[in-house]
Parts: sequence; structure tokens; C-alpha cells
Amino acid sequence: MTGTEALALFERQVDFLSESHYLLLLWSATAEDRSLKYNLTNFFDDLKHLGITRTKQTAVALAEVLSGLRFIEMRDESNRKNLYISRYGALALARLVESRRFESRQSSYLEER
Amino acid sequence: MTIGIGGAGCKIAARLDSEAVLVNVSETELGKVDGGGRRLLASLHAGRGQFKGSRKDPAIGLDAYLSVKRELLPLIRGNYVFSSTGGGTGNGICTGILRDLSEEEHIATEDKTFFALLLPYARLESSEFVSNTSDFLAGPLAEAIDSGNTGNIVLFSNSVKFEQKLSEEDFNAMLVDSLRQFFAVPDKNDRLRLLDGHIDHEDFALFLSKPYFNHFTCFDYDAQQSFEKQLAKHPNPLLLPPENPIEALFLLEVPSGADPTIFYDIVEHFTARNVSPIYSVVENPDIERPFISVALLYSRKPAELVNDFNKIAEKHAQAKVQKSLDQYVTLEKLNVNLADEAKAALKQRGDEEGILDILKRIGRL
Repeated sequence: MTGTEALALFERQVDFLSESHYLLLLWSATAEDRSLKYNLTNFFDDLKHLGITRTKQTAVALAEVLSGLRFIEMRDESNRKNLYISRYGALALARLVESRRFESRQSSYLEER
Repeated sequence: MTIGIGGAGCKIAARLDSEAVLVNVSETELGKVDGGGRRLLASLHAGRGQFKGSRKDPAIGLDAYLSVKRELLPLIRGNYVFSSTGGGTGNGICTGILRDLSEEEHIATEDKTFFALLLPYARLESSEFVSNTSDFLAGPLAEAIDSGNTGNIVLFSNSVKFEQKLSEEDFNAMLVDSLRQFFAVPDKNDRLRLLDGHIDHEDFALFLSKPYFNHFTCFDYDAQQSFEKQLAKHPNPLLLPPENPIEALFLLEVPSGADPTIFYDIVEHFTARNVSPIYSVVENPDIERPFISVALLYSRKPAELVNDFNKIAEKHAQAKVQKSLDQYVTLEKLNVNLADEAKAALKQRGDEEGILDILKRIGRL
């Protein structure tokens, strides 16, 4: 695969992302910047709080998609699935931020801390 | 000579006198008047050229007066001025004339000016007409009466025109007929056989030179009934109602061979009210019943007149306020605080720019 093809693939992957994916990338990066652990349950609670979903499966599916694309890393730590943004995830997030496709929304988990 | 000022004044003056001098701010209006003699254009220049009219604004008429003052003031001496009080030209120019007359030390009897003023019908005419009239009555007219430098002032009212729904032409014709009837008094005195008393042109001119309001009327006189009741029953509907007279004049015409002494009852009526009338009793072979022309001079204070007009003007104003209240619509207030909006926008942008910083800080970019 050439660099151009790899870039085209990356573009298509970013185009595929939804607002919820964007929020997960954003919140996980923000949490890490503030030395906090952001786990799957926190993500589900935040989505629920914003009225985006009412089921944990959705949150899990969203996280698994990003994990599958290698945009985030899910680590089992102390019985929690903590979420960390990867270098590719950071590039995808930067691209989304520049394109202004989505608006940032507040994570209640991060707000409280 | 007759001088007509403004739209209404010119029309009446031109109808009464084919030699009338007509004064107006608008050349177009002057051109529209049928009859009359010389036209005098009171010019007033605004920033965009000459005014085409005074727009119901007496201040414009008053300014325009300055352009004709030198010519007009000598013209009105000992003559008749016709004007309305509601509009801008008649009111404004008359205001100028009355103020100048008020300031004079003394005006000789033969130089006094007779003013015939046409007042609007307050109930139906525009509120500007009513308020202009109030100001005119309370201001220049009151001053002029106090100065004693005017002749008779006749207050015509537009009420008959509106109540009987008359065309302006018909109404003006009625008004002029009524004036002619009154002005004919000394001529009748000269022309018809004199039975008692006399009112010659000198007496009549002296009567007209007195600075009071004049209410003149005429009717068939029935000697069997009280004069007081008949007078109360037959006021001139074109004029404002009179007050108790200060001076009076009457011309009684009796048919040929009728008893001329019936006039004593009329004289008694006036003397009982401390008024010594000037009178003339003449024989008129063309009539079948006695006919009387009466003029009463009274000095009803303009303040009372002004009150009447003010009451109406106040009602107009209240009605306008009520209408505005009825039409008041509550508009939802849209609270847009630009500073907050700007902060929010900055914060949004800041967040997004901040993300890139975050990604750099955590070593992913």
C-alpha cells in the first residue's frame, strides 16, 4: 500500500466517524491530559447524560469501533476498561477539529473533577 | 376692500368681493380660486426650494408673513380680513398681523380691521386644526382683543357644513349671503323710507370698528312674542353662539302701513340689559311681515373658547392614546448579550484549539 493509499484509507475512516466517536476521542484525550482515567462506564454515563443513548451496548459498540480502527486503546485495569487515545486517534481527532464537523460537548465525568 | 388669507379665507373673500386681494403661500392654491382680484404670494424658501404650502403648520405661515408684511399691513387698514384658524397659512399670517396690530400704540377708528375667522368643527376635523385654533385663540387673538386695536371679530364655525353635509361651495355661499345681509344694513337705511332712528354708513363703520366679537343674525319679527325668545330661537347658525351683549345694533324693516312703534319692545329688551342699541326702523314695501337684522357685540373671553377647543383636543389625544394602547402588542424580548455570545464563541474555538494542544501535551501529535 502506498502512502497515498494509506492516507486515502485514513480519510475514509475519519469520514465514517460519528459525533459519538468524536466525543470519545475528545474526552479520552482530555482525561489523559488531566491525569484522569476515563473508562467505558464513564463514557456510557456521559452519553446517557447527553441523551445520546440509553444502552451500554451502544457505548461498548462505539468504543469497539474506535478500538478496531486503532484510534483508541482499551486496557483492562483494576477491573475497569480504561480508554486511551492512540496516535492515529489523535490525528483523526485533529482532522475532525480542523474540519469543525462536530461541536465539542462537555463530559459530566470530567466536569465534576 | 376685502383681503382673503389662506385657502378658506381666499375662497370666501373672492366670493364676497370681486376685487378681493388674495394671499397664500401656495401659488397653485392662488390659481385655483375663482374670482377675486389681485393675488399676493407670500413666499418662503426652504432648503429644497420654495414651500408649496404651509402643511397645516402656522410657523410656516408666520415666516411667510414677513415676505408680505410691508405690503399687507397698510392694505388691511380699515378693511375686512377673512381667514381660517385651523390651517397653517391663514392662522400663521393672521398671527403675524394680529401681533403687529397689538403692538401699535393707537389705531384710528377708521383704520380698524374687521376680521372674519372661520373656526374648524372640532368634533370632526383634524386634530391639527383644533390644536392650531386653540393656540391661535389663546395667543395672538387674545392679545389683539386686549390691545383694543382690532375692529369686530366674527367667529364663523364649520359646524353647519359638517352637520348638514354641505359642499364647501354651498357653505361658502351661505356664509357670504349671511355677511351680505348684515353689511346691507346701512344701504337699507339709505334706500328705504326711514321711520325711526338711523344707522348711516358712518354709524355702521363705527360699530364695526369696536374690538369685540360680533354675532349678527336676522329673522321675521313677531311683535306679539317676546323679542328675547325670538332672538334665542334664531341665532345665526353659521356663527359661534353669542354671550351677553355689550353693544347692539338692529335694523327693523316693517311692511308698508304697519305699526313702526313695535321697535320699542326691542329697545326695552336691550336697555333692561344695560345696552343702548343703535337702530333704524324702515319701511320695506316688498315684505309682508316685519323683518329684523340684529348684531350683538360681546366680549366672551377667548380663554373660554380655548377651553372648549382644548377639551375637544384633549378628547382627540385621549382617543389616540387609547387606540395606541389597544394596538399595543407585547413583543417577546430577545435577550442577546453580545459579550456573552462572543465569549461562548471564543470558548468554543478555544476548546477546539485547546484539543490540539492537549494532543501535543499527551504526546500523540
